[in-house]
Amino acid sequence: MKTLTATQKTIITVISALVTLAALFPLLWVAIAGFKERSEVLATPFRFFPKRWLVQNYTDILGDWTFVQSMLVTFGGAVLFATLSLAVNAMAAYVFARLDFKFKGFLWVYVITTMFVPGMAILLTSFIVVNKLGMLDTLAVLVLPGVASAGHMFFIRQFYLNIPLALEEAALIDGAGRIRIFTGIFLPMSFPVFVIVGIGSYLGYWNSFVWPTMTITNPHLFQIMQYLYTFRSERATEMGMLMAGSALSALPTIVLFLIFQRHIISGIKISGLK
Amino acid sequence: MMAKSNTVSKFKQDNKTAYLLLAPIVILLTIFVVIPFFYALVVSFYDWSFYQESKFVGFRNYYLVLTDDLFLESVWTGLKFALMVVPAMLILSFLFASVVKNLSPRFSGFVKTSIYIPTIISGIVASVIFVFIYDYTAGLANYILGWFGVEPVAWLAEVRTALPSIAVPAIWLGFGLTSLIMLSGLHDIPESYYEAAELEGAGTWAKMRYITIPLMRNVILYLLVTGFTAQISQFELSLVMTNGGPLSETVTPNLYILNHFRNDVMVGNSIAASLLLFVVLGSISAVIFRVLNSEKAVDG
Repeated sequence: MKTLTATQKTIITVISALVTLAALFPLLWVAIAGFKERSEVLATPFRFFPKRWLVQNYTDILGDWTFVQSMLVTFGGAVLFATLSLAVNAMAAYVFARLDFKFKGFLWVYVITTMFVPGMAILLTSFIVVNKLGMLDTLAVLVLPGVASAGHMFFIRQFYLNIPLALEEAALIDGAGRIRIFTGIFLPMSFPVFVIVGIGSYLGYWNSFVWPTMTITNPHLFQIMQYLYTFRSERATEMGMLMAGSALSALPTIVLFLIFQRHIISGIKISGLK
Repeated sequence: MMAKSNTVSKFKQDNKTAYLLLAPIVILLTIFVVIPFFYALVVSFYDWSFYQESKFVGFRNYYLVLTDDLFLESVWTGLKFALMVVPAMLILSFLFASVVKNLSPRFSGFVKTSIYIPTIISGIVASVIFVFIYDYTAGLANYILGWFGVEPVAWLAEVRTALPSIAVPAIWLGFGLTSLIMLSGLHDIPESYYEAAELEGAGTWAKMRYITIPLMRNVILYLLVTGFTAQISQFELSLVMTNGGPLSETVTPNLYILNHFRNDVMVGNSIAASLLLFVVLGSISAVIFRVLNSEKAVDG
């Protein structure tokens, strides 16, 4: 490529900086609005920065035990969800990538077909099923229904297909069992794909909203998005607190993303796109 | 990388281990996807109720849905919404990815991380933020219009502006991931193609027209199709920002279905509606899956 002139370089740098700022602006704005005085949040004329920086809204919302509790419960649920999801889907991915067994073709089609069932089509009947199983208002109703995912299984399997057979052949000849090979060879190599799939599951759980509002009425189990939605309709006047709560609710996700960002962003390349 | 045979066929079949490791996924999918799906299929042929005996009604629910103006309007709204979001998002992220590609590695790392952040934000939080941005008296949108002397607009309450106003946060949420996928597609194009074109005297436009766009065809196609299915299915933004209003102008198909679930008499109807939608969206994603899966198998 022709090297760019200094002016061209400056121009693309400035454009990128502006777009980046625009992408982050709504989040920065909500976080900053959380520092405004109650009367100032919706004051005219519009001001970006508060007249005085107050932590009141943040301390108020953090003083609301339902909020803190729903952050903690959602976080715990999301971690449990992601862990179970990785376990269940990775086992299946390994089996489909490496093992030969009766009805393999049928089971593959059975599992993969579930990928094309849109959530909305089964929302109500899923509700009836979990109701019949007595799962309403439990952690299980939030965690279990989404754990098995054909999409995630497929993604992990693509990764396993690219692990050279030579690695396990020696172990097989030495008489190691399939499960030993899975836990001893495949799992330790799975980190890059687990980061992507695991964060994906975590996000799906953390941001879910419709399912919790249908299945959870016990405030001790309120999920964070459910909390924010309820807060917005019940305490519509407390804008500052809503802003602070929204900003805080995004924080764990952003921190988690920043920790793993290099893996996630390079993972976009391996997502099977040509 | 692997070619055809993915199983170590020279070793004997191992049914027991396979079934043991597959049991969790198969059981969970059966309980939480397959049974609800067939159940939904059955309910769609019944006049179904939480409180009384259901009656078999054949295709009546489907007939009612397909003749319900509100449903047809919601499909039209979903299409309009997708047409607002997807092309805008693709063009913006294509242009942006072309810019980021030429950045110094250090700065581009920062840019990539930052633009990805909105992607991980929930629809609820995005809605809360944008409702404030669109606030009539104190919102940012009208403040900026004010610079140009334009009268304030009731963004979410006017029939003309409501749907485009919801399209903006949808673009915001999807822009980062789309750009990064575009960028990785751009990086896959060998630099030598451009060098050769430059020797022939090709300008920026010619290079884009004859090299970049043709080679990006699959990436763009993928993003177009996944984008359309995702945006037609969107309902959280309109649920929180406008609750379908004004005058059901922002009722997307999924919001229509969700609203009908709350109404006992309409349960059979809305399930029929969601299955109809499933046929369309499901076949679209099945096609994408086939394409991706076959490519993987071919060049392995």
